[in-house]
Amino acid sequence: MKTKSLLLVAVDFLIMFAGLGIIMLNQYPNIDYSPMPWALGAAVMGIVIQLFLVKGRYSSDIWVFPMVLFFSSLGIIMLARLKPILCVPQLRWLMIGMVVMLGVLYFSRQLKNMMQYQYILGICTLVVLCLSLLFGVEIGGSKNWLVLGPISVQPSEFGKILLVLFLAAFLSDHGEMLNAAKRKFLFLDLPPIRFIAPLLVIWGIAILMFVVQRDLGSALLFFCMAVFMTYMGTGSKSYVFIAMLFFGLGAAVSYAFFSHVQVRFNIWLDPWADPAGQAYQVVQSLFAFAAGGVWGTGFTHGHPGLIPEVHTDFIFSAVAEELGLLGCTVIMMVYVMLFYRGIMIAMNCKKELHTLVAAGFSIALFTQAFIIIAGVTKFLPLTGITLPFISYGGSSMVSGFIMIGLLLSLSKKEKVHGA
Amino acid sequence: MQGTAIVIKTLGIALQYGLLLLLLYFVYKLMKFMKKDSQHVVEDIYAVTEISNVEAVLTVLEAADQSMVGQRFAFSNHISIGRGNDNDIVLNDSFASHHHAEIALLNNLYVIEDMGSVNKTYVNNEPITGRQYLQSGDLISVGSATFEFGR
Repeated sequence: MKTKSLLLVAVDFLIMFAGLGIIMLNQYPNIDYSPMPWALGAAVMGIVIQLFLVKGRYSSDIWVFPMVLFFSSLGIIMLARLKPILCVPQLRWLMIGMVVMLGVLYFSRQLKNMMQYQYILGICTLVVLCLSLLFGVEIGGSKNWLVLGPISVQPSEFGKILLVLFLAAFLSDHGEMLNAAKRKFLFLDLPPIRFIAPLLVIWGIAILMFVVQRDLGSALLFFCMAVFMTYMGTGSKSYVFIAMLFFGLGAAVSYAFFSHVQVRFNIWLDPWADPAGQAYQVVQSLFAFAAGGVWGTGFTHGHPGLIPEVHTDFIFSAVAEELGLLGCTVIMMVYVMLFYRGIMIAMNCKKELHTLVAAGFSIALFTQAFIIIAGVTKFLPLTGITLPFISYGGSSMVSGFIMIGLLLSLSKKEKVHGA
Repeated sequence: MQGTAIVIKTLGIALQYGLLLLLLYFVYKLMKFMKKDSQHVVEDIYAVTEISNVEAVLTVLEAADQSMVGQRFAFSNHISIGRGNDNDIVLNDSFASHHHAEIALLNNLYVIEDMGSVNKTYVNNEPITGRQYLQSGDLISVGSATFEFGR
């Protein structure tokens, strides 16, 4: 069983090399071999890491990593086709991500101990999110980038991890209190305000910052994560109702006051009102889906280059056009299985804190994939966010691998000692 | 020149279809493996575990939660069994009480005591009243779980 997981890793890299091979054949006779050494390096690293995971010293899960590599190799071949110049950087980020994951696994014991300092984590979340508000630089329409010398970082990607850790620590500590002292109000059970206040403050500030920074995708993601985790931590549906109320209120207010929210919403209602202007991106994405059909146009045979930002937010449309319904379904199925595996890990944890952390990370990755896939297919209003592990982006890649590292370390069964 | 063009063309087509097939193959294999993996295999029930500094072991023979079957809990002085999370052995079983039973060392012998459970604690299929000494090989039933006591 354990060695069979290596087969999956091998298939991942076969996909990568098949894709790169197609692109190189198209370039004949002036073939650009530059991504090859990096791709080989990544493949060797992936196989070595899987061999290491199979030994089970720091983790007992062997299926999550092949799935992550599946997404990354698909992302790399899509980038090699869409923006060849970004292919090597993405491979480099993949390797950095794998190293970071190993680091997280190595220090997993210390990190697990750090997970219980809830208020420090809460403050860190706010600081990280505030950083971009104070020193942020605007790239691609939202002011959520930090420029540190040669690299630019998206702090919200890392704020996500901190938020999950904070909520898990807070809820596992206060879960009983949030449930015990309740007052009936209509059909809702309301906890006393002083127990829920820290939670509300963190939610509110996080969301306000995103609306101000025009990063609606992250705002929606943070909100969904907070709601899911509160529900898991307390098991009380009242919180979901309160959150929905909040959400409705927030949505109405931001629709009234912010023009970019209005634009997004109107595009969603009727993209055909202005297909060449404001709705251009969404309309081109829908065309891409239509052009792909069931089997797709064939890799490198479509025209996904017409969609703006196709290499980050809209990479799923490019997959849809070139690999068709088949490719899309496969990607979505693997996301679902990653989520399933994450929840399995969460259910096997002994401590409530660890359960919440593992479930929180699975939900974060899954919701993120859902929001952007729903956005590009016009199922929900479009909110720019990366498709985890597939889109181009260093911050997104590294933070994804940190989450996977923590998830894997939580899957390690703790030894039962004598009392 | 024509020859290489044809070779490249066919290679390209083969890779195109190969890519799609590989995607499908990955999902197929992943589902198959994960399905097999989730069916729990009891492989370590008779495995030799290191018992150092501990004098007694409880082996799970049956449990409502299949993943517990085969687990061994080693202890030296005291161990508690029940549904509550503060027990040493936490049973996720609706037939077990929150604090169901405890085993403790008393005069170099192990004693089991029922902590006032609803469904009683059984040793070798006999319900126990008060405290009772345990011998190696005794079968302890708590709720729907069965443990083997060993020294």
